[in-house]
Amino acid sequence: MLRLPAVSRALAGAAHSKGSISTTNNVWTSVRASSNMVEVFVDGKPVMVEPGTTVLQACAQVGVQIPRFCYHDRLSVAGNCRMCLVEIERAPKPVAACAMPVMKGWNILTNSEKTRKAREGVMEFLLSNHPLDCPICDQGGECDLQDQSMMFGADRSRFTEDKRAVEDKNIGPLIKTIMTRCIHCTRCVRFASEVAGVEDLGTTGRGNTMQIGTYVEKMFMSELSGNVIDLCPVGALTSKPYAFTSRPWETRKTESIDVLDAVGSNIVVSTRGGEVMRILPRLNEDVNEEWISDKTRFSYDGLKRQRLTQPMVKDASGQLVATSWEDVLTRVAGALQGVQGSEVGAIAGGMVDAEALVALKDLLNRLDSETLCTEEVFPMTGSGTDLRSNYLLNSRITGIEECDLLLLIGTNPRYEAPLFNSRVRKSWLHNELEVAMVGHKVDLSYSYNHLGETTQVLQEIADGTHPFCKVLAQAKKPIVVVGSSSLQRDDGAAILKAVSTIAQNSRAISGVEEGWKVLNVLHRVASQVAALDLGYKPGVDAIRKNPPKVLFLLGADADCITRADLPKDSFIIYQGHHGDVGALMADVIMPGAAYTEKTGTYVNTEGRAQQTRVAVTAPGIAREDWKILRAISELAGVTLPYDTLDEVRRRLEEVSPNLVRYDDVEEANYFKQAHELSKAVNQSLLAAPIVPPQLTVKDFYMTDPISRASQTMAKCVKAVTEGAAAVDEPSIC
Amino acid sequence: MAEYANVVRRAVGQLGGHGGVKGFLLQLFRVNDIKTGALVGVDKYGNKYYEDNRNFFGRHRWVIYTTEMNGKKTLWEVDGSMVPAEWHRWLHCMTDNPPTTHPPEPKKFLAQVHQINLSGTSNCYVPYSTTRKKIHEWVPPKAGEK
Repeated sequence: MLRLPAVSRALAGAAHSKGSISTTNNVWTSVRASSNMVEVFVDGKPVMVEPGTTVLQACAQVGVQIPRFCYHDRLSVAGNCRMCLVEIERAPKPVAACAMPVMKGWNILTNSEKTRKAREGVMEFLLSNHPLDCPICDQGGECDLQDQSMMFGADRSRFTEDKRAVEDKNIGPLIKTIMTRCIHCTRCVRFASEVAGVEDLGTTGRGNTMQIGTYVEKMFMSELSGNVIDLCPVGALTSKPYAFTSRPWETRKTESIDVLDAVGSNIVVSTRGGEVMRILPRLNEDVNEEWISDKTRFSYDGLKRQRLTQPMVKDASGQLVATSWEDVLTRVAGALQGVQGSEVGAIAGGMVDAEALVALKDLLNRLDSETLCTEEVFPMTGSGTDLRSNYLLNSRITGIEECDLLLLIGTNPRYEAPLFNSRVRKSWLHNELEVAMVGHKVDLSYSYNHLGETTQVLQEIADGTHPFCKVLAQAKKPIVVVGSSSLQRDDGAAILKAVSTIAQNSRAISGVEEGWKVLNVLHRVASQVAALDLGYKPGVDAIRKNPPKVLFLLGADADCITRADLPKDSFIIYQGHHGDVGALMADVIMPGAAYTEKTGTYVNTEGRAQQTRVAVTAPGIAREDWKILRAISELAGVTLPYDTLDEVRRRLEEVSPNLVRYDDVEEANYFKQAHELSKAVNQSLLAAPIVPPQLTVKDFYMTDPISRASQTMAKCVKAVTEGAAAVDEPSIC
Repeated sequence: MAEYANVVRRAVGQLGGHGGVKGFLLQLFRVNDIKTGALVGVDKYGNKYYEDNRNFFGRHRWVIYTTEMNGKKTLWEVDGSMVPAEWHRWLHCMTDNPPTTHPPEPKKFLAQVHQINLSGTSNCYVPYSTTRKKIHEWVPPKAGEK
């Protein structure tokens, strides 16, 4: 029963071949048939529902919440907690609302004597083996069992026996297990096998001796593992880094955006006393549903380490020493004024907000410099970044759920964009999505057709000579996703040309409607799309070819320019929030704010503008990035015409209006024209295989200054390489 | 009649007992009082201790602070902690024996040089923090180490 999804998938597949439509427990696909709606009554109130709706969903439609533990919207139905028992009029026994499809004319009694008694009984059994350690339990205050026992439980205990005790398991440095508290809802098991796609968790034993675990001691190795903490209705699975640090009612919640990858997951930042205590996911059906990746969730301790808290300059001996803002701003302004405009260059890093990007661009443009680059490379030949559709994930993340064929090229979405990958897996599991891949063979948590890793395969598909073209030709709604890393190779333009050809051909063959986008680029860093929208040059080639005397690094920590690339006397200014690669080579350091400390605009890989909010103040005397740039501009005699955030955003709107249309995806088009222009590219494909930089889970955890500074992430890498026991800490309880 | 003469004599003594007009004004502004009394002793820092039992108890012993102590100008900024331990007990009427006539037993814990209370100055004592830092700042590597 616990391996139900695999079984149901097989069954659904079998049913499909026979030509019938399976309408079993699939909560994602809604069969729209308005003609044969079923009328049921909830406590006497009539409601029209689709056939196949469960009792629990029918009740939810009239706003009646049925208590539940094992049922979850995004997981398959298990029906083993029995908390959702309700009485159906004239039925002999109470039924489990989560698993029972409604029948015509049923009267569901959600608050009858029998229902209440059933709930009370179930609750009593659950509590009979649940420890009474709520005062020291990390789930306290957000515990479903606590809340529901208050609402639906009995007011006294008849319990005299001994409670069951279960040994705790070590499943890695992120999740703390207190298995005695487990009520066997199996949400974590279902999450692992359905959403995360790792068959690590399971149950052993039955009845009172049933245990959830990994059977042999091993790490729960998934990039989405942290979500089981949110899923667990009790305190059996809690966050290890967050253990015993704060209570949910003590923290202040700020709705924000994650910037550690290009998906732009919606998050809630919980803070207490000016300190980020934890990060939780926020519901956004179009982006991350209700999951977030482990890097998003657990790298917040990187925000508290290796921070730049005060301005620094190099003294005569070459040592960086702390100084005041007045000093550092005049030095920077002097350096910018002291050289020709053409001798000034700037590189923007992967976590910079659009406000800072536009301020830096305006500042340097006013100094007659056009050398503004991003760290990530994108081929500029053909239409390059002139057409927005060239560099966006045009189909959007939700588009994956509609498509029937996905071709991945040179990307490992599982680690480059875990939430995108979970969407692909969901579609693969429920919508019969077929996935094919050109590039290094990696574990994507779902099966795919590996076509090869050479560029030759790509060329063959583009030419129509590869056997896969037949599959591509049959696709009704194909999607081609190319990883940004494969466009960074020396033959990036040729790869983009080939991908564009594949996309254009397959769209022509499939005859899909005009609005359907085929070509997609999956980015890896949060700032890239906004930077390209603002007119930054992708890649640092311009700086390599024409080394500037003054180089401005705006959060650039990817080590794409070193001291060796620049003339000896060049002056390097670093502005950012972490002491990482960029700060090490700088002559002057200006401390900026990290993403939890500023209101900033970020555009995700779909082209969706979203904003972060101030959750805590920047440490020390660090300031918001655009304010620093505005101050420099005044001292350099080219004052930027904005003083407030609103004015900066008005400027953003002038440059690119989509940057301030929050939570909205601006359509991008002109695929045909882009394709025509790409034909002019006469670059040839290199023979080297296409290998994305993140191949295994080890490469996933530390990719940017924040996660590199995080001890939790370092522990994860250690646990992955040396086993979970290597980072085992003695638990307090 | 004689009482009134005494009052006048005392008043004249207080007006003239501080060393002329300048001394009188200095006393008036520094101490806010011009009373005179018998000089019981002077400590090694220059604080002068007076006694006049015609004043009521509690105001019968007083100190005129020195003008420099512990390297600090104390002409206008005076502090009760300028009184060293051996005079403190006489001044606060814990004993009637001033250290001039009954020198205190030498003790190890008695400071050789009395220190003024440093509260509120930059040298004041600050207990070290027992809470962990919320933000750990980046420490740049020493030059030439790389």
